[in-house]
Amino acid sequence: MPAGVWAVPFAVGGRAHSRERERAVKVAENQLPARGRMAGLDRQAQDRRIDDTMLIREAQRGSRAAFEELVRHYDQAVLRLALHLTGTEQDAQDVYQDAFLKAYKNIGSFRFECSFYTWIYRIVTNLCLDHLRKKTVRKEDAPVAKDADGGEYDLLDQVADARAGANPERDLMRRQLGARIAGALEKLTPRERMVFELKHYHGMKLRTVGEILHTTEETAKNTLFRATQKLRGALADMR
Amino acid sequence: MKCEWVKQNIVLHVYGELPDDARYELEQHVARCADCAAELKAEQDFHALLSQDRVADPTPNLLASSRMHLQEALETAQQGGIWTRLAFDPAHWLRQVRFSPALASAILILGFAGGVGTTYEIFGRGAKPDRLPVAANSGTTAASAAAIAGIDSITPIPGTDQVTIKYNTLSTEERQGSLNDQQIQQLLLYAARNNYNSGVRVDSVDLLAKRSSDLQVRDALIYALQNDTNPGVRLKSLDALGNYVKSDTNVRDAVLRALVNDDNSGVRIEALRLIEPVKADGSVRGVLMALAAKDQSTYIKSQARTMLAQLPEID
Repeated sequence: MPAGVWAVPFAVGGRAHSRERERAVKVAENQLPARGRMAGLDRQAQDRRIDDTMLIREAQRGSRAAFEELVRHYDQAVLRLALHLTGTEQDAQDVYQDAFLKAYKNIGSFRFECSFYTWIYRIVTNLCLDHLRKKTVRKEDAPVAKDADGGEYDLLDQVADARAGANPERDLMRRQLGARIAGALEKLTPRERMVFELKHYHGMKLRTVGEILHTTEETAKNTLFRATQKLRGALADMR
Repeated sequence: MKCEWVKQNIVLHVYGELPDDARYELEQHVARCADCAAELKAEQDFHALLSQDRVADPTPNLLASSRMHLQEALETAQQGGIWTRLAFDPAHWLRQVRFSPALASAILILGFAGGVGTTYEIFGRGAKPDRLPVAANSGTTAASAAAIAGIDSITPIPGTDQVTIKYNTLSTEERQGSLNDQQIQQLLLYAARNNYNSGVRVDSVDLLAKRSSDLQVRDALIYALQNDTNPGVRLKSLDALGNYVKSDTNVRDAVLRALVNDDNSGVRIEALRLIEPVKADGSVRGVLMALAAKDQSTYIKSQARTMLAQLPEID
């Protein structure tokens, strides 16, 4: 399931809000072609967009409840991205908080020129890129070790996970693979890392990635190509 | 060249980012080219390897704690102020107006009313005190609201019982103030020159006499002396000007003209009395000689001769 597609029950706003939503849904229904299951999915996405639009407008009028509802539509995906990019829960939480606070303060300037999804991801990726750049600077201090094949990995990644499954051997292998991949990802430039992250782990279209990173689809394609080449080089021994 | 293009695009193919025609072309090439087929296989294997490493979803605890912290932070956070949003974002304003016809109409009406109000303030009420009370044309003022000064024209509309009457109205206004008040002085000057009621003219000249040191007032008095139809008004102006016969040549000339031309003997005698202090002046002497020689009034003739006799001889 691509990031950011959940059906969240609509719970804010007064009677007027509900009426507005009903009207909007009716309009959307008229515009939607009846195509069985696809029509159902379209309807879900459309509903979601209508909900977002109304929530954004209410948040722009100063409704905190509407903003918090909007946060719930996106925060899980944001936290997932931040957690994978920063590597620690604390940093992820910081990025999460900074991103939504920034969104709250600037929602008045949101102009519906792009989707809210793109807008919020733009904020998050910018914060994460800052974090990655800082991390690159202090990389020398990280507690890294060399594995049997000479590849570096973060010692913290080797700490046993409390959620160990039924198969300890497979878990160990997966953790080792994860550590190697994480080590390889660390070697990418922050921008390559971001493009790869959004494409590979979050399943975004490169056109959207380009929009989020304020660049063209073509540049995003080239960046993905470079990132993959580097990763293949770094993980060549694992195949 | 083709292999190079394929190698560049294999990643996009694996991620499903190639357009249909490019994907077809790539698949066709790979089916024929062993190298590219191996490259595709390697990329697919690598993709499969990476896919084993999945991004873990944040734990419910982490999500809940993040939401809680955010809520706390939002309590104290301020959105971009309403003024910042309204005052510094004209584009937003315009957008709001574009989508709200009622608001747009309200702003238009307010702007129009404001403009009319300002015009009324500047040209209507503001200018009123300076304006002199003159007859004004008014098509809408009820006859009861202002006295009818006169009927200009009566035009019946043919074939109907309607008639168009063009008439002038006068409305009376009152103003009280000190003699030093500029507007009071204006009214007095206007009264001295234009008023149809000689009693009012006498009163205004009487009052203006107290301020005859003012050149403008003196001009009005000279005008009254030369042009007023009422001898009483002329006499009053003459008295008011008396003090300036010596110092103001304009006044002296005006008095001499009155002495020669005025058809009222009372005015002429008063003028003669006033020029007594300046009888030695060349122009005065000339006038006196003319009067002494051939004036119709025997009194003036004799007075002029007496005055000339008192003057030292000039060779």
